[in-house]
Amino acid sequence: MAVSKEQVESTLKSKLNPYHLDVTDTSGGCGASYSIEVVSEQFEGKRLLERHRLVNAALVEEMKHIHALSITKALTPDQWKEQEAKTTKEAA
Amino acid sequence: MSFHLQLVARPFPFINCAVTPTAALTCHYHRRRPTCFHTKKLCSAAAISFPFRLASTATKLSSSSSSSSFRCFSALSPELKSSLDKVVSSSKVILFMKGTKDFPQCGFSNTVVQILKSLNVPFETINILENEFLRQGLKEYSSWPTFPQLYIDGEFFGGCDIALEAYKSGELQEALEKAMCS
Repeated sequence: MAVSKEQVESTLKSKLNPYHLDVTDTSGGCGASYSIEVVSEQFEGKRLLERHRLVNAALVEEMKHIHALSITKALTPDQWKEQEAKTTKEAA
Repeated sequence: MSFHLQLVARPFPFINCAVTPTAALTCHYHRRRPTCFHTKKLCSAAAISFPFRLASTATKLSSSSSSSSFRCFSALSPELKSSLDKVVSSSKVILFMKGTKDFPQCGFSNTVVQILKSLNVPFETINILENEFLRQGLKEYSSWPTFPQLYIDGEFFGGCDIALEAYKSGELQEALEKAMCS
């Protein structure tokens, strides 16, 4: 049983109330492998490990069917804005 | 074969001492008197799966008795937990991974192996593909759903993404240095 991208997105949206969310299906179609970028206020004051644990906990049901989950970004809105500003600056 | 088996086999003799009196009480080990005779051979897989085979038998045996042994149903039995407590602190850096240091069988595991190799730190690896009980138990033990799992100084450090991120930021080097000096 595969998990759809929409399912992962909606679960994360409801549980983490993200400021920014980007879910990429990296499985090549079978829906068992995802890469996630998530920005949420809930990460405030938390170490990276704790942030990843929050994401893992949010997806505990989905994880039963997901083989690989890669969390490439788990940032607070402030960190995200900072990073965005940096990249636009570099691009300009 | 000999190389990775050696690596794996080293921490696991602890399993034999994991049959503590408390565990024996919880799981009714005394009903299976010849516990230690079964584990004469120090094959790692046999050694680690041994408490489980026993646990399930013990559960069956004790189902009619008054005391409960519900913990035996969890992937992380008390025996495995106490063994893992010892395993994760038996070396400064331990990586539970798919495959071995020299033959990683998963891209994520490989990434962490390469990072650790590049940092020139001594580390032990344990191939969780060789033991399904260990694999399931560890997920609970670390409260982490996937592999690889990196332990530094007896503490869960993170999976592949965290190791990579911490490597880029220098936090991993810091944590490793601290562990090596302690």
